[in-house]
Amino acid sequence: MSIEFKKIDYTYSVNTPFQFVALKQIDLNIEMNKVTAIIGATGSGKSTLVQHLNGLILPTSGQLIVNDFVINANVKVRNLKSLRKNVGLVFQFPEYQLFEESIIKDIAFGPKNFGVPEDEANKIAKASLKLVGLDESYLEKSPLDLSGGQKRRVAIAGILAMEPDVLVLDEPTAGLDPQGAKQMMELFKKLNTVHNKTVLLVTHDMEHVYNYCDNVVVMKKGEVFLNSSVNTFFENTTYLDELNILAPNIIRLKNMLKNHNIDVSGCDDIHSICDKIVKELK
Amino acid sequence: MKIIDAKNIDFSYDEITHAVKSVSFSVERGSYTTIIGHNGSGKSTIAKLLIGLLPCDSGSIHIDGLELSLSNLAKIRNKVGIVFQNPDNQFIGATVRDDIAFGLENHRIDSNLMDDIINEFAIKVNMFEYLDSEPTKLSGGQKQRVAIAGALAMNPEIIIFDESTSMLDPQGKNEINNFIQELHKEKDLTILSITHDIEEVCKSDNVIVMFEGKILMEGKPCDILNQTEKLVACNLDIPFAQKVVNELRLKGISISDNLTLESLVSEICLLSLKK
Repeated sequence: MSIEFKKIDYTYSVNTPFQFVALKQIDLNIEMNKVTAIIGATGSGKSTLVQHLNGLILPTSGQLIVNDFVINANVKVRNLKSLRKNVGLVFQFPEYQLFEESIIKDIAFGPKNFGVPEDEANKIAKASLKLVGLDESYLEKSPLDLSGGQKRRVAIAGILAMEPDVLVLDEPTAGLDPQGAKQMMELFKKLNTVHNKTVLLVTHDMEHVYNYCDNVVVMKKGEVFLNSSVNTFFENTTYLDELNILAPNIIRLKNMLKNHNIDVSGCDDIHSICDKIVKELK
Repeated sequence: MKIIDAKNIDFSYDEITHAVKSVSFSVERGSYTTIIGHNGSGKSTIAKLLIGLLPCDSGSIHIDGLELSLSNLAKIRNKVGIVFQNPDNQFIGATVRDDIAFGLENHRIDSNLMDDIINEFAIKVNMFEYLDSEPTKLSGGQKQRVAIAGALAMNPEIIIFDESTSMLDPQGKNEINNFIQELHKEKDLTILSITHDIEEVCKSDNVIVMFEGKILMEGKPCDILNQTEKLVACNLDIPFAQKVVNELRLKGISISDNLTLESLVSEICLLSLKK
């Protein structure tokens, strides 16, 4: 099982005046059963990259491997449906795509499209709703009467109902209030640790990268600038400086304390840092 | 001197969604006020009420002493500019120049004057060399700066930012936040910013906390952002530095409230010298 990009290029609007190279020679391995963050400035190719994962866009050149599925550039792709069942893609602001009159119908829409009988689809819908932390009292409600955060949960449940192994999310917490965003990130972590899903998410929030992700892929001008573990990435501030990214609060605090000769090495959460500070002050 | 004065304003979208419930607040001329609140707490509805995009069901709004009413609407909109969340939804022109010109044309500004005004504000937001660029060629932060230029060109007294940085990458967000700070300082412009960005709230003069359509608290950031339980209960967060303060207090250290890491670390160093 693997996700591999091999020398993938992607160009928008080939042979037109608007031709634009979005991805250049992408060689990338995504570790399975981990949470991977995709970061990078606007226009660096993050969204283009993740839309390859379920064949929504096909490479201009190169090869993509997702589990057993192989996509070669310029070769007709057969049976995209099986790839799309395997990789669930959640767009930005997925709540705008809710359309059915009841939540259960909205969530069951996907599996029914894949040929699952109605009874079974409804069963899956119920389970998916539970997975995103909403109880059965919501099933018959209109998805349009929910709050922003709840709507997004329902939209994500609709993707989970297709029982994908890989879940790809494009800026899943944009626009959510702080606690809503936190609950959403905890949900993805749980889908990874408890339900063994491989999770890829595009984000701008370094706190989320630090607190919830295992690996990080940094995109820069259509190329992979870095692919590393989250710990290695934040350990080395030269990367962050080069990318003009402010480090997560924990790292900033650690560095500031270190500059004042308070030793907090080996501490990676607020509790252990505070224990060290207490020792220093007593 | 109050430049925004809202008294007992009420608004319902329909029988079920009572978005704003008898809200009263005022904003001082030249101040920087932030509004925070959970999703659906009524923040954006208030912004729309203030510029008359939605009519209040009851209550009154005065902008710069002028009552917001149908007959005063044009005058009020000359005083208040707004920048929305999504950079793609508010770019109207085919080029940056057209986009900044849009508001001016609507206000029937003499076309001889228009070029100078457009140039002035394009320079102001650092987009002069992009005047003939199409929106597809711009980053999110650049589009938001053009939106700000469009608002500034109307020479408003107040600018409302409705989560204007929430869709931007960290660099774009910094760029816009710093720019807003500069504008606020140099032009005596009144800023009202709806945001989830706790760092921005720390830098503002006043903060209003919305909860379920009502104002839960308002005051200086240092008096509001230390109220951990209340803020978390309404789906908000406290600054990271204050989390550390709370944790240290639990462990028996006596330390004052701190909104920034810089002030927190200097206090820790002082305490360590005194021990």
